[in-house]
Order: sequence, then C-alpha cells, then structure tokens
Amino acid sequence: MGEVKEKKASKPDETSEEGIPGVITTTTSAISDLLKKTKVQDLINWGRKNSLWFMTQPMGCCGVEMIAMGCAHYDTDRFGIIPRNSPRQADVMLISGYVTKKYLPSLKRLWEQMPSPKWVMCIGDCSISGGPFYESYSTVQNIDEIFPIDVFVPGCPPRPEAMLQGFVELQEKIKAKKDLGSEY
Amino acid sequence: MDVAEILKSLTGAFPEAISEATAESEIRARSYVDKERVREVCQYLKDSLQFDHLCSVCGVDYIKRNELEVVYHIASYDHPVVLTLKARLPRENPEIESIVSVYWNANWYERETYELFGILFKNHPNLKPLVLPEDMLGEWPLRKDYEGFPNKTARNLV
Amino acid sequence: MEEKLEPNEMIVHLGPQHPMQPGPFRLNLRLKGETVVDADIELGFIHKGIEKILENKTYLQGITIVDRICYLVALVNEECFVGCTEKLLGIEPPERAQYIRVILEELTRIQSHLLGMGEFGEFIGFVSMFMYTIREREEVLSLIDMVTGARITHSYLKVGGVRDDLPDGFKEKALSVLNNLKKSVDDFEEMFHTDRIFRERTVGVGVLTADAAKNLGVSGPVLRATGVPFDIRKNEPYLVYKDLDFKVCTETAGDCFARVQVRINEIRESIYILEQCLDQIPGGPLFPEGTLYGRRTPVMRVPAGEVFHRVEDPRGEMGMYMISDGSDKPYRVKIRGPYYPTLQALPPLIIGTTVADVASISGSMDGCTSEADR
Repeated sequence: MGEVKEKKASKPDETSEEGIPGVITTTTSAISDLLKKTKVQDLINWGRKNSLWFMTQPMGCCGVEMIAMGCAHYDTDRFGIIPRNSPRQADVMLISGYVTKKYLPSLKRLWEQMPSPKWVMCIGDCSISGGPFYESYSTVQNIDEIFPIDVFVPGCPPRPEAMLQGFVELQEKIKAKKDLGSEY
Repeated sequence: MDVAEILKSLTGAFPEAISEATAESEIRARSYVDKERVREVCQYLKDSLQFDHLCSVCGVDYIKRNELEVVYHIASYDHPVVLTLKARLPRENPEIESIVSVYWNANWYERETYELFGILFKNHPNLKPLVLPEDMLGEWPLRKDYEGFPNKTARNLV
Repeated sequence: MEEKLEPNEMIVHLGPQHPMQPGPFRLNLRLKGETVVDADIELGFIHKGIEKILENKTYLQGITIVDRICYLVALVNEECFVGCTEKLLGIEPPERAQYIRVILEELTRIQSHLLGMGEFGEFIGFVSMFMYTIREREEVLSLIDMVTGARITHSYLKVGGVRDDLPDGFKEKALSVLNNLKKSVDDFEEMFHTDRIFRERTVGVGVLTADAAKNLGVSGPVLRATGVPFDIRKNEPYLVYKDLDFKVCTETAGDCFARVQVRINEIRESIYILEQCLDQIPGGPLFPEGTLYGRRTPVMRVPAGEVFHRVEDPRGEMGMYMISDGSDKPYRVKIRGPYYPTLQALPPLIIGTTVADVASISGSMDGCTSEADR
C-alpha cells in the first residue's frame, strides 16, 4: 500500500519534469540548430529578406536622403522595405550620420529595443570613418567595433539609389546566410 | 535711425562704459563695453533705441592677448543696423553679468558659451551644459589651447 | 525639471528618437493629466563641433563643411559663409553669378518648404500630404542636381562666384517644373484648407502674438505668421534682391495654420522670383574679371578684420560672424542659425497645451536639429 501511495505522489513531479506526454520540451536550441542546416532556413530567410523594415531615425544629411528613399519617388515598398517609426517594429537600423558621445548610449538602447533578427547598416562616410567630422571633439569613431554592421554605403551623402543598392546587398547576404544579424 | 545717431545716443548715455565706438558701414556698428555694465547698456538699447532682437552671443579666445571676449550681436526688427558689443574678460576666472533678464533668448547662447569657453554668466537662471555631455564640462573645447582637437581615435586615419 | 512629482503628474520623455522630431533632441514633458505643465529641451545629440572644425580649415575647405550645418538648405549656408569671406576680401561676384546664386537659393527655399509642409502633415496624421510634397520636391531637387551635381550637399558656391554655369536647357526645364509646381501648390492649399481634421488640429493651436514672438527672438515664417514683415531679403538686401520684385508674405493669426499658409505663399513668391531671374539673367563671366579668383582659387590670405553677415534662410535669419587674423584660415566663425531660437521658444509655447498639440506645434516650426546643434 505504502509503495503505491509513494508512486501516486511522485507521479505529478514526473510530468512536470518530463512534460506532457507527446510534447517534447527542451531547453537547448537543438531544433533550431537542426533547422538551420535544412532548406527550412532558406524559406525563413526568404521571408526575412523580403520584409526589411527600417527605423526612421534621421541623424544627419543622410537622414534626409533616407526619408526621400522611403517616399513616393524611390518607393522602397516594392522591395518590402518600409519605414517604421518605432524600434520595436523595425528590423534594420540605419546609422545615418555621425555618432556623438552624447548620442551613443541612446543608440545602443535603440539597438537593444529592436527584436531579433535585426541588422544594422552604415549610411554615409560619417558613420564609416568619420567623414568630414573625423577630427571633431564630439564624435565617436570606429562604429564598426560597437555594432555588427552588415553593409556600408559610402557617399556624403549617398544618393537614394545607392541606399537601395545597399538594401539589395543586405538581401543577398541574408539569402546566402552570411549576415551578422542571425547565427548560422 | 542711422548709425551715427545710435552711436551718439549710446556714448552720450554711457560715456564711461562705452569705448571705441565706431561705425563700420551704414548698417554695422561696433563698440566695446565695460563688463560690469553690460546689462544696463542692453536695457538701454532695448528700451530707447529699438534694439529688440538679439542675434547671438558668442565667445572669442584671443590667446595672444590673454583675453576672452564675449560678443553680442544686437539687431532690430524695425531698422537694419546691427550693433556688435564686445566685453573683454581675463582668461582666468572670466565672469560677466547675464543678460537673460533683458533678452529672453540669450538663455541658450549663454549656456553654450559657458560650456564651450568657460565663461561664467552671473545671475543666469539655469547655467548648465547644453550641447556637450556632462563629463566634458571643464575642457572648454573652443578655446585655442584645447588639446583634444584634432581627435585621433579613428583607426583608419591616414 | 524637478524630480518631485505630485500625485497625478508624470514625466514623459519624447526623443531622442521620435517620429515628431526632425532630428534627435529630447523633449521632457511634465504632464498633469493631459496638460503640459513644464517642458524642457536637451540638445546636443548631434553636436559635431563645426565651429571648431572651421577654425582649422582653409576658406575653400570651409565651404564643404558649412554645407553640413543644415542639410536642407546647404546653399544658403554657403551663401552666408562665402558672403562673409567676400566682405572681408572686398570683392563682389559679377552679376551673372549673383543671379545664378539667387536662382539656386530660391529653389532651395522651395524644396525646404515643401519638405517642411509634408513633414508637418505627417506629424499630425496626414501622411498622404507627405507623399505629395515629396513628389514635387524630387522635381525641384532634380533641377538643383542638374546645375550642381548633387542633391543636398553641393559645394557649389566659390569665393567671388559660382563653380559652374547653368547647363543647356536649364531654363526650359525649370519653367516646365515651375509651371507644374504652381498647380500643385494650389492643390496643396486646397487640401490644407478643406481637410477638417487638419483644420481642427491647427487653427487656433500654438498661437503666438507679435510681441511675444519678438520677445522670444524668433524669425522666419514663425514670426511672419504673426504679422511682422521681417525679412532679411528686404531689410538688408544682399545679392540682386534689391532689383527683384517680391513681397514679404505675412499672416496675422499666428497659429500653426498661419505658419503653413505663410510657407505656401512663400513658395509662390519664390516661383515669381525665379521667373524674373530666368528672364533677366545677363551674360558675362562667373568670377570678377581682373582678379585671381576663379574655379581653382589658390590658397588665399584674407585681410584681418571681422564681419557679421546675415542672409534669409527658409527658417529665418541666418547669420555668421567671422574673424580673420590675416592667415589662410578663419580665426573664429560663429554660426547663428535660425532654428536655434525657434527651438528655444518651443517650451513656452507648449506649456499649457495638451499632449496632442505638442506634435502639431513642434511640427509647424519646420525644424532642423542639425543646425541647432551644429
């Protein structure tokens, strides 16, 4: 009798450890690791690369061109690239200008607020190498050591066509699974 | 109102505070002002001579003369004359009277001059850094002997 | 802003990244219910120290840097910088160069106003307006692109003249673009006037009286919307503006609606100025004859002296104070941007209004944070 009681008492503990029968719960990322090696990841990436929503965050001259790129004339909607105002809804952060010492903490926080998978692009000379303000007392250099940057678009400022080309390059990178935004 | 009339009126009202008053052209005048009496002079300009628009306040570092200058550009909405008032200050502990009580928009200009040059504006309502981060206060980046310029942290600098 | 809050008060930080803003700045609002009781602005998120950089560049290199003060009106910034240098040197550009400068600066004014109006529409939930104005702006930008070779930062003005002549076929293309623009501006006006939501969010919101505006030190369309005809092009004519016929657009209401109306009227005046310029533009050289100044000006030493030069920016009065000590670099350049005092006047305007009006009032100022930060 005593043994049976013990068995009954211990049964709920077993289910909480091993999960509901028929459902496998694991704490490892084995399945997603497995998926990354199969064609399913290609399908996921196809979806990701065709909906690159970027965050509008004008920081300099390139910010104006970024706005122009997202609007009627250049019409990035046809590539699935849509401007969003909130970091929570965005996939791509464009560093569109000089990063100052005062702005860097806010920029890091914006980057943390974005949900994964996420990518970051450098637009313009200022964010790549300092541009015309490389010697200023207020700007931060070497942005690529701080953020995992996938695409650099040079120009001061780059034309909207160049930015579009940058987005196309990012799409190619995602398709080839060589982007820094997700782990393969 | 023309330049000669303005300068005559100004030097007449403050004979000891205004010095070296000159007219550069028909619409530009320049003068030095005693640093203790800037606020009074501005009040007079605003009340009696229609100078109701403050263009800018800025600092200039004359390191060879060991002096700082605060330069006020005061204009008017009615006549095209711009008066450049300058006040000489020593480079150590520069202090000057704030003119926020006369021209409301001097507030930010004075805050900016304070953080970039280290000029202390007495009786300013809220004298704290405006454009620089708090930890850069005390470096006075726009002074000529500032050492952080050019910034050499860029990795790929040729 | 004091940290101690009363029971029904809260502090809301708008920015540094917020759709309402033309660039990063932080607006701290202290709210009591829906009402703003205190407001405070933090600047400097894109302060890049242009004044210090200009002290270490030659006059010719400086033209490239002043482009980036405010990227929407690069040519007007150049005009101010180059005007200062020309005054110190005592030279004046020939008449053709002056006309070309006026043409390009008025085109700049048109595109800046178009973007400003569109952005304002977007801020208060009128996004289709933004798409319409951007479409017209691209046409104007293509005209500027045709002359200078760049869309927003040009480095086109040189000391004593301009870099290149107008290309062939510019006049015909410009006239056709301007004719289309006239119709579009009429459409925009009709859209602004008939949209009920737009009217309710702007009429009577953010009212500024003439005396208050003068006290706050604002200029440009914000001031002209209160009825003060203050325009540097009339008060202190530079270039060939004294030969041209135009009027200063004013409104009397002083609210957000009046500011947009002033911008619409100014676009019309600019089109009128452009038509006159295209008609009257004389032939001749682009640089003063008999001097060394030209496209490839060598390193020049500017005589010692100081000058304060003002031009009319699309946002108001733009001034630069330049001191030269006789070397090839300026000793000190102070940039007095028009948006700086306008942004400073934002907290007094929004105190006492509701949160919903903050976007409306801030957007009607047509800002450019880069120029306030420099």
